[in-house]
Amino acid sequence: MNSRFSWFNVTSIVLGFAFLYIPILLLVIYSFNDSKLVTVWGGWSTKWYSGLLQNDALLDAAWVTLRVALVSATVATILGTLAAIVLVRMGRFRGRTLFSGLVFAPLVMPEVITGLSLLLLFVALGFDRGYWTVTIAHATFAMCFAAVVVQSRLHDFDKSVEEAAMDLGAPPVRTFFEVTLPIIAPAVISAWLLAFTLSLDDLVIASFTTGPGATTLPIKIYSQVRLGVTPEINAISTVMIGFVTIGVLVASYMTKRQSAMRERETRAVDQGAA
Amino acid sequence: MAGNASVAEAAAKPAAYTPASRTPAPQSNFAPWKDPAKNPIVRFENVTKRFGDFVAIKDCTLDIYEREFFALLGPSGCGKSTLLRMLAGFEKPTEGRIFVNGKDITDLAPYERTDVNMMFQSYALFPHMTVERNIGFGLRQDGMEKSAIEARVAEAMALLELGKFAQRKPHQLSGGQQQRVALARAIAKKPRIMLLDEPLGALDKRLRQQAQFELMRIQETTGTTFVIVTHDQEEAMTVASRIAVMNHGELAHIATPGEIYEFPGSRYVANFIGDVNIFEGKVSAIDGNDVTIDWPSGNDSFTAQGSAGLTIGQQVWLAMRPEKVRIFQTKPTEACNAIPGKVVDVGYLGSISHYHVKVASGQQVTALRANAAQTVEHNIKWDDDVWLEWPYDAGMILTK
Amino acid sequence: MRRWYVIGAPYIWLLLFFLVPFFIVFKISLSDIATAIPPYTPTLDLSGGWEAIKTFFSELDFENYSFIVNDPLYVDAYWSSVRIAAIATLITLLVAYPIAYGMARAPKDWQPTLMMLVILPFWTSFLIRVYAWMGILKKEGLLNLFLMNMGLISEPLTILNTNTAVYIGIVYSYLPFMILPLYSSLEKIKPSLLEAAEDLGSPPWKAFWQVTFPLSLPGIFAGCLLVFIPAVGEFVIPDLLGGSDTLMIGKTLWSEFFNNRDWPVSSAVAVVLLIVLILPIVLFQRMQQNQAEAGR
Repeated sequence: MNSRFSWFNVTSIVLGFAFLYIPILLLVIYSFNDSKLVTVWGGWSTKWYSGLLQNDALLDAAWVTLRVALVSATVATILGTLAAIVLVRMGRFRGRTLFSGLVFAPLVMPEVITGLSLLLLFVALGFDRGYWTVTIAHATFAMCFAAVVVQSRLHDFDKSVEEAAMDLGAPPVRTFFEVTLPIIAPAVISAWLLAFTLSLDDLVIASFTTGPGATTLPIKIYSQVRLGVTPEINAISTVMIGFVTIGVLVASYMTKRQSAMRERETRAVDQGAA
Repeated sequence: MAGNASVAEAAAKPAAYTPASRTPAPQSNFAPWKDPAKNPIVRFENVTKRFGDFVAIKDCTLDIYEREFFALLGPSGCGKSTLLRMLAGFEKPTEGRIFVNGKDITDLAPYERTDVNMMFQSYALFPHMTVERNIGFGLRQDGMEKSAIEARVAEAMALLELGKFAQRKPHQLSGGQQQRVALARAIAKKPRIMLLDEPLGALDKRLRQQAQFELMRIQETTGTTFVIVTHDQEEAMTVASRIAVMNHGELAHIATPGEIYEFPGSRYVANFIGDVNIFEGKVSAIDGNDVTIDWPSGNDSFTAQGSAGLTIGQQVWLAMRPEKVRIFQTKPTEACNAIPGKVVDVGYLGSISHYHVKVASGQQVTALRANAAQTVEHNIKWDDDVWLEWPYDAGMILTK
Repeated sequence: MRRWYVIGAPYIWLLLFFLVPFFIVFKISLSDIATAIPPYTPTLDLSGGWEAIKTFFSELDFENYSFIVNDPLYVDAYWSSVRIAAIATLITLLVAYPIAYGMARAPKDWQPTLMMLVILPFWTSFLIRVYAWMGILKKEGLLNLFLMNMGLISEPLTILNTNTAVYIGIVYSYLPFMILPLYSSLEKIKPSLLEAAEDLGSPPWKAFWQVTFPLSLPGIFAGCLLVFIPAVGEFVIPDLLGGSDTLMIGKTLWSEFFNNRDWPVSSAVAVVLLIVLILPIVLFQRMQQNQAEAGR
């Protein structure tokens, strides 16, 4: 459905993106504000950033967050990929409806419920709350997002490619690692990235499931945000936004380069053949 | 019509592939299914397949012999692909057994069936591997030595003229090239039985004809048994030594292309293979091999041959291929079967013309005529009154 | 048999960490608050044998629920959460539709970039995005500054800490969730369908209501569920942008848990919230499952 790209369409896109990006842009700009008063412009400065580097509590929180995100994203991606395979490839089995409910419900479940229920589980099991409980909690809700991402890729995937591998003598596990996984790899990687960012961002579930010594960055930021808008928070936020933006840009650049390389290969082969 | 016409057509073209010097099955001596001493290489024994309530295959028993080019032909949903997929191991029969070379393989997984390899309708090429690695995939699964794999891959690529594409990925190939890679990949494993699921369905007509002859050439040179699934009757007629026509999960008829065209055995098969005119009637007299059939809706009667198994008063159908019906502007003399009618449509195709003639019963009868010379009859037009005539031995009497 | 390992791993994980916790929440919602660790009573002690189990069950009751139902604070909080979420969802739909529509009509080679631009804010922290609005909406904030400099207002508007700020926050934060399903259903509509409608005598604005809009209904439905359900239980937005009179159940649950340390009541609040949301969640799950089935 393209063509007929009217002024109305252009205007709504421009206004829409302005709405989406102006708040973030303002936040970034004001992180370079020399003035302590957030809304009064006092000239350019990077002093809030150098302040961050001296803030040990903040750096500790960042380190905890990163570790939680790395481990939980990895667990979430493995489990999510398995869940996607179950949903798309396993056909009917006893308990399938319950399973798909368990995969999809966390996507929309209010975080306060997920957080509270996981906390009560950890208490009931007698787990010490801290790094591991946050990691498990994040892996649980992120795996459902990972499952959705991988699942949509598996849908587009021609099942006969897997059948061909088996027909040519590859048993199922080997077929998965030699054929299925390489083909769905981009989806698995984006599932990991999504799980990673979800974990980095999460405040509510982490607040419920965390314990002493495992304060994550969002919890730290939240405790300061409640006290009001400060340039330091603008600076931390800008750093986090910067990381994510660079990550996404690099990822999309890689994908573009890959397809460009493929095209060049094709041309080279064509010329060679001619 | 299909088989011979396209053989001649394709052979006349300066095609890249030399058509195999292969005589059509009816005249050839290759007929292992007639030899009781021969053991079939594939045997389906009372195989039934159900998906829930749906019966995909109904009690099917079928033998396929070594070096055959066997075609499973039918409309979509008739169960032909299910039958093939059961042989490859992707579906398990609900009842019955499947034997390959006398060995029961019913319970083997696809990757355990070393005698059987399949070429997929979608080609199912591995998108992340080069042509070379695609072709070598099956050999690597067998744990073959590297040098042996290379030799085999090279052999398969040479057979299908894929050498210069060795380092390409599938998305860098045209449809015809992809089709050849898919074939090479399966053939590289040197299976005894090669399964082809609508292998040429994605190609355009011209390419498809070339590819048909290529399939026949490869089948000849490798000596492999081919089982092909197709919905295209011309394709089946061209390539196959025998055709099994399927209908709603049942084998309607199994015979050589020539037999199936001339003696289809049922209205379904007659209709499915080529065009046919069918007159419904009752047997009114039998004299030796001659049969007289009353045609009540046209107030007429016909003479035909083949009285075996018929009784007087039995309901039968007289089937007539359009090319055997002749068309005249005046009543032909000394004709045993001639009926009047009015032309409702003329289809001029250059080499031949189709005439659709409305006869007394109200049904339309098609006559086909080659435009060999300019004759008076050539000028038959819409709305002309004409006579249709066919010899007593041109029709087939069908009882179902 | 390998099949059961593949099914088993994610299944058992989700049963243990997603389903079982709900039963524990339900159980604790029937308990009473206690100054102990854990802060509720009774706790089940299996070593006491059958008798202990019996006393355990006899001490469970629905007291917390009758407390919630009879206290207008909770009832109002539920009602106001649903109302705020519903109104915010509607506004989000109205904002998102023209954007998604424009994206679907944009030249084909722009569309991946536009898609990425919609998704990008979603990757940046939710908390930070909400925080960004605090600086804009407060009394001496950037919006008031801008409007006063333009001469549109003479007195600064009070937006932060009102329900208006909560609406803005929800619309802003959940906009990508609405745009994406809308876009994917609008993008599937072939231009020839609209051409056919116009050819058959329907002017463009009518063709929109007769063809485009009905065909985008699945996207509208999906987007609304994706926004409405989490918005009902939202905590961060009402906490940071809302005022003291902004009643939302997520906030109530949070303060019940963290400030009052009343685990049984917060569990009961969670159970009731789940009951309120069960219908939309089941609808959402059905929709997802149907999509999963359709692809097979």
